[in-house]
Amino acid sequence: MSDELICCSKHDSEPTASRKPVPVWLFVLTLVLLFLGAVYFDHYSGWFDKQVYAPYASAEELAFYQPKSGAASVAAHGRAVYETVCGLCHSNDGLGKPNQAPPLAGSEWVSKDVTSLARVPLAGLNGPIQVAGHEWNLAMAPMGAGLSDADLAAVLSYIRTSWGNNSGAVTADEMKAARAAISGNAPSAEALAKMTPVERGRAVFQKYGCYQCHGQDGKGGVSNANAKTAEQVPSLIYVADGYTKAELIAFVSRGERNIPRLNPAGPEPPHFMPKWGPIISTNELSDLADFLFSLKPKGENLGF
Amino acid sequence: MKTKFPILLLGATAFGLFVAGVIRADDQQLDAETKARIDKYEQGPATIDVSKYPQGIQDNYEVFSQKCSQCHKLSRPINSDYAAPDEWSRYVKRMMHKPGSGIDSTSGKKIYEFLVYDSSVRKKAMLDDKLARMSADDKATAEAKVKEVHDKYDNK
Repeated sequence: MSDELICCSKHDSEPTASRKPVPVWLFVLTLVLLFLGAVYFDHYSGWFDKQVYAPYASAEELAFYQPKSGAASVAAHGRAVYETVCGLCHSNDGLGKPNQAPPLAGSEWVSKDVTSLARVPLAGLNGPIQVAGHEWNLAMAPMGAGLSDADLAAVLSYIRTSWGNNSGAVTADEMKAARAAISGNAPSAEALAKMTPVERGRAVFQKYGCYQCHGQDGKGGVSNANAKTAEQVPSLIYVADGYTKAELIAFVSRGERNIPRLNPAGPEPPHFMPKWGPIISTNELSDLADFLFSLKPKGENLGF
Repeated sequence: MKTKFPILLLGATAFGLFVAGVIRADDQQLDAETKARIDKYEQGPATIDVSKYPQGIQDNYEVFSQKCSQCHKLSRPINSDYAAPDEWSRYVKRMMHKPGSGIDSTSGKKIYEFLVYDSSVRKKAMLDDKLARMSADDKATAEAKVKEVHDKYDNK
């Protein structure tokens, strides 16, 4: 053995380490496997829970949407309504947003009597108001006017029992009574049936508080600090010029969350167009569009 | 150092694919669609060669460039899928009625005329396609509006 080593080390060159390039097929195979893995995760991940797949991302999220019973059902429903209708401004954690909406957590408004509290989502609220020692001077549309009594009771119960609030749940019957007390001037179903679409649209304009931002006659002018639209909420009297009925309904349904800023470095404008699609019914939207088209001043012609 | 390159490449590719596979579009589908459409328009050219257009239309192009660029990129209307006179009429009026737009009815009409003229030349195929889909009455009205602009500016 030792002779052999002596022999060879004398005649052969010193062995060196070398490296082969990674074969192309290995890249291809890796990419295919990774792609299949990603597709698998996309469809079935739920972070390794076989009960969870698209569009749900986790077992917790799936559990949230499962039917519940009793108080848990009302709380889950209230939370869902809150996050759809209220959370965008008041924030899902109830802490509100600066210059946009006051907090509901710890707010004295939440613990008011049921009718006074229900008046806010049903009729809207204009500032200035005091909330937890701070002044808020904003306008809120009656975002709850389109909710059923059960939905309204669920969402107000959720607000009154969440984030440290402890004012107790409210019932659908209480909401029904509050709605009757608040909307004494609203037209009855019989009266609505006899109205023209434009007249019904005017009632929709009132019902959902469009006037709170766009003005009683739709002429706008409500202040919207740092909005590119001359720091105003736009007038509606010329929408007939700029939209087809379908375009207008689509816009109202979609809303406009991001209002362009006059000064890009300045604060976010406090008012934006809510997403009314889930709140105002299809028939009401059609009547509203007819009413808005009727606002165009007669005899005006731009010549194009 | 050199020997680590394929491993790094594989790692980066794996990470990229993993992220791309797992991340999903959120539920703001319509907003995302609108945004994607606008982004697509805005990636196109931001100017038009108007040297062959009549002088009046070239002047209107200046008004269009100056007024419209105050709020959005010019590439947005230039590359949009609007081409019919009524589409431009609504779009221009929608913009000019925004508070603080600085577009009066005279400027608005000039912008409209430029856009209608430009669409009938640069986007002719798109305009013809839209006209072909209209009812006979709507088509006749739209063609009359295009002709009105051409009659006003051509050979002057």
